[in-house]
Amino acid sequence: MTANLAPPAVAARPARPPAARTRNAHLRKRTAINYALVAPALVLSIVVVVIPGILTLLFAFTDWSGIGFDFAFVGVDNFREILADPVFATSLTNNITWLVLFLTLPAIVGLLTAALLLRRKRMRTFYQVIFLMPYVLAPVVNALIWQTIIYNPNGGVFGALGIPSPTASMQTSLYAAAAVDMWHYWGFLTVVYLGAMRQTPMDQVEAAVVDGASGWGVFRHVYLPSIRPTLMLMGVMTVIFSFLAFDYVFLLTQGGPAHSSEVMGTYAYAFAFSSFEFGKAAAVGIIMSFFGLIASVVYTRLSRAELMR
Amino acid sequence: MTRKTLVAAAGMAVVAALALAGCSGDAAGGRQKLELWFWGAPPQQQQVMKDVLVEGFNASQDEYELQVTFNNAVDKNVQVALTANKGPDIVYGSGPAFAAAYAQQGKLADMTPYAEKYGWQDRILEPIYDSGTVDGKLYSLPNSIEDIGVFYNTKVLDSLGVDVPTTYDEFVDVLDAADAAGLYPSVTGNQGWKPVNQNYISLFLSQVAGGKTVYQALQGEVPWTDPRIADAVTASAEFYQDGYLGGDDYATLNFDQSMQLLSAEKSPFFIGPSLAFQFASNYFNDEAGNTEDLGFMPFPTINPELPSPYFTLGTTASLSINAASKNPDGAAEVIDYMMSEDFTKEMNRDWPGYWAVPLKDFPLDPADYDGLSKPFVEAMRQTIDGVNAGNYGFFAGTFFPPATATLFTDVDGVWLGTQTTEQFLDQVESTFTGELDKGLVPPLPEPAN
Repeated sequence: MTANLAPPAVAARPARPPAARTRNAHLRKRTAINYALVAPALVLSIVVVVIPGILTLLFAFTDWSGIGFDFAFVGVDNFREILADPVFATSLTNNITWLVLFLTLPAIVGLLTAALLLRRKRMRTFYQVIFLMPYVLAPVVNALIWQTIIYNPNGGVFGALGIPSPTASMQTSLYAAAAVDMWHYWGFLTVVYLGAMRQTPMDQVEAAVVDGASGWGVFRHVYLPSIRPTLMLMGVMTVIFSFLAFDYVFLLTQGGPAHSSEVMGTYAYAFAFSSFEFGKAAAVGIIMSFFGLIASVVYTRLSRAELMR
Repeated sequence: MTRKTLVAAAGMAVVAALALAGCSGDAAGGRQKLELWFWGAPPQQQQVMKDVLVEGFNASQDEYELQVTFNNAVDKNVQVALTANKGPDIVYGSGPAFAAAYAQQGKLADMTPYAEKYGWQDRILEPIYDSGTVDGKLYSLPNSIEDIGVFYNTKVLDSLGVDVPTTYDEFVDVLDAADAAGLYPSVTGNQGWKPVNQNYISLFLSQVAGGKTVYQALQGEVPWTDPRIADAVTASAEFYQDGYLGGDDYATLNFDQSMQLLSAEKSPFFIGPSLAFQFASNYFNDEAGNTEDLGFMPFPTINPELPSPYFTLGTTASLSINAASKNPDGAAEVIDYMMSEDFTKEMNRDWPGYWAVPLKDFPLDPADYDGLSKPFVEAMRQTIDGVNAGNYGFFAGTFFPPATATLFTDVDGVWLGTQTTEQFLDQVESTFTGELDKGLVPPLPEPAN
């Protein structure tokens, strides 16, 4: 018996049945509607994000003053000057310190508080509102509260205790600004983590308890794996936010004293709005975005790996 | 009438109303609207501005309607608006250097024809008028001059058993005496506004290196690394390190808090620009019964080779005309109104500190004023005499090109030891050379000393 390896004769293509034609027409219509629905967001993104992004990239290689449109291309001079500036090194180091602080302290406190609130069903909402309050207040309000009531050497808590204001010292100014930002941020993390933990299937929790798992064991082996995607997402967002840090540093220390609390955001701001060196400000902005981009790529890869499991 | 007809009629009425509102966008009651964006002054001072400037100007003619908007982010708003060829008719800026940068980009209108029409050159102090020109054309006029001097509380000086110091040595003795008595030697600080540093480095550049040396540096005739300038920077660092600028709290105090501490007798001195009179009125007033306690004197001359008193001349803000304004004539009329004797007299009655309009003869008599307006008018008369005699140096924020001025904000690096004077001035020299080449240095009056 021999196998017939010859390809089957190509039969004349039968005419599509009317039902298939209708289905295709329907699909085309749906696709067109989908594109139409996506279009506003796409146009908005192009106008607000893509075009300014491309312009920023372009201006990073110019000596644009930020006024008018007279500029000359200066190659990589802006990047060369920024990288040779010790203030840039201080800013980058401070951003990394900021990142380490935010990836640890508020995350740990938020997770711990969420775990504690999980079993406190009656007062849970009340606590969530309290913890979330600093997050919903404007940064300028939070900064003012800390500046006048806590850090103030004349009439503030630090003044009353005879402790020098941490915003005045080169050694502590960055931490003083970070403390206020973390104070405003950890409540938000608590609410997010609590929401994620409440999605954990109760049968898994109950099974673990029946099997004799301790409180820590349930947290470690049931809740933590369950909220892993949320932890990862918040971690990536923290990385991105850390390299974009600006408001609390600007409001509390302006990057001082003597650039000790300078971060890349305040460093770029001074170029843009004080010395009319928009080209350099754009170059710093590109460097800041680069770190955010790395975080986004890592997140996308990890998410894909998670889905493939 | 059916429901549909009613809805259609209402819709048409709304459209018509909007169209009418749109048509009247630039005109208010038949008048052309003029806009001025101003910084977010406290409510009481905003009211003075509305009463004296807005109502005064609007009542003085029937062609234009002036509207003033107050906003703390005015510098940034103006920068963005001008770049987009939008913004207010009258451009409120931070000084001649600011105006020069915008003028070069064609964002400000040439005010020379208006200067000729209204005779501004005859009316305004010559060095101040010249500083507002670029390539011989006028682009800005300041609303007020200022001097960086010393506010003192006579009550605290009495309690320390000393008189108002007249020499630098006497001044330092009182600073030490205050420190020994557990007071702040002086109160001031840069909390919330780092460019405050420019006041103190400008003061030392004037008082140690002298205005003429700084003038030469700004012309590119001597480098910023000149030993006289280096001595001035080092002297400012020593002054800071001795705790003479706000003790340990320089970074946590601002002008308003400093003035409050001065009134609370926590220090004998507040070293700062004369514009701080506007903060003083919150704490030294008739209600508190301490108006007479506050005095102001020029900073005692440090370099014995310089005359005494010696002034650090600055301007608080500048006024220009937006090149994109539809009513440049109206904007010029507003500026002319602000450069007048009557306006100056009225503004200083209730808002001391911000309106020493640079009129050549400054025809204000301190005897006509009470409260803090009296010492302010006296101080400004003295400053104008000093300017006319050529005894002055330059405030960086007014007269230095933008990137160089920003670098001088960073002088706290030298004060706190993260940079040496030499490293700092090398950086200044490099940045300044670039700006000089780009023509960003405003024309400067040459001091006599």
